[in-house]
Amino acid sequence: MYYYIFEQPRNARERADFEKIRDIAREFSISGEVSQASPARSPEELVQIAIEKNYTTIVGIGNDAHINKIVGAILNANVTYPLALGIISTDPNSLLHERWGFTSPQEACETLKFRKLEKFTVGLIEPNIYYLTSARIECPKPTRIILEVDHWKAEAIIDRMEVSNNLYILLERYIKEKSLIKSAYNWLIGKDNISADQSIFKGKIIKIDSAEPLPVLVGDNIVAKTPVNIYRKINALNIICKRDKIMTDISSNKS
Amino acid sequence: MKQQQVGTIVGSSVHLTGAIKDVSDISIFGSVDGEVTSEEKVIIEESAKVKGPVSGREVIVSGYVNGTISAKERLELNASGVIKGNIETKNLLIHSGATFIGKSSMPEKKVEEGFTPEEEFEAETETEEESPLAAKDEEEDPDKDI
Repeated sequence: MYYYIFEQPRNARERADFEKIRDIAREFSISGEVSQASPARSPEELVQIAIEKNYTTIVGIGNDAHINKIVGAILNANVTYPLALGIISTDPNSLLHERWGFTSPQEACETLKFRKLEKFTVGLIEPNIYYLTSARIECPKPTRIILEVDHWKAEAIIDRMEVSNNLYILLERYIKEKSLIKSAYNWLIGKDNISADQSIFKGKIIKIDSAEPLPVLVGDNIVAKTPVNIYRKINALNIICKRDKIMTDISSNKS
Repeated sequence: MKQQQVGTIVGSSVHLTGAIKDVSDISIFGSVDGEVTSEEKVIIEESAKVKGPVSGREVIVSGYVNGTISAKERLELNASGVIKGNIETKNLLIHSGATFIGKSSMPEKKVEEGFTPEEEFEAETETEEESPLAAKDEEEDPDKDI
């Protein structure tokens, strides 16, 4: 049986889309209990209710932040029976939409009905923040951070940092073009005068530290502050995937 | 975050201490104190400084390396590159202007050709010894041509 957790609709269009999904799910005989997150009922609470009722499939419908909350609630609940997560991403600009974005409610419901399961790796920010997308640090000015990863330690000056669910680390330092001639030339050809010096690493355990506490964001929510430890939980979650796509992991890399 | 099999990149604003290992390419723009190991390519860019052993299938050095380098297939030292340490590779290319202080060896090639460094050394010594003797003969028999 399916337990649907809808995000609180932001506008009339989204409300209509959600209604459509409900109707089509009924047509596909995959209707179940429908709930909607609200300030009074968080997605975490709704997941708890679904687990108490022994639902084997929880479907999250909404943006990345909403889905990440559901993922966290499922993994923190330590479910003893096989539970699958269905995802319908409604934010076309999000990372999850690349994998679980659907062109129509029909396509979404077909995917849910077919129930092709894949195991996915999930990132864990200590103590109990799970995420399926990525965690990031955005600094208002270049900031020195200390990164401890597996067998090495690094000091870096960053403007932005991103850690994916399977612990791919991206460090970015924005560098402004100093030469006036080059700046003018870039302006003429429509090229940006700020380039990013990037570092890319992989790890199994990451410790991030900084002189001053920096907020760690998942989606738009601040979930922790540095110093912070990030781990990965390999194959932690069963997720329903599109049957026409060969998918290994959210970041195209098998852990 | 778009992720592909890009391997590891150490940016110019990063100072790394410890061993970095990757199955895919490693590119270094910053500084590394420790071992660098890749099953593919290791690229040490002009701005990079590496203190420690480097090993990979192919190693390209345009920056500074203080340590041994082992390249299974190919090692290229570009004009801006500096290597202070021993190198071991099958295929070596050093561009004009580069600095290399150390010993180089090509172990696999020697086996293929059946030529050991000892034999090479012996051959060199023999020729060196022969020439003073020949000179002595010439001294002993100065009227040889007469």
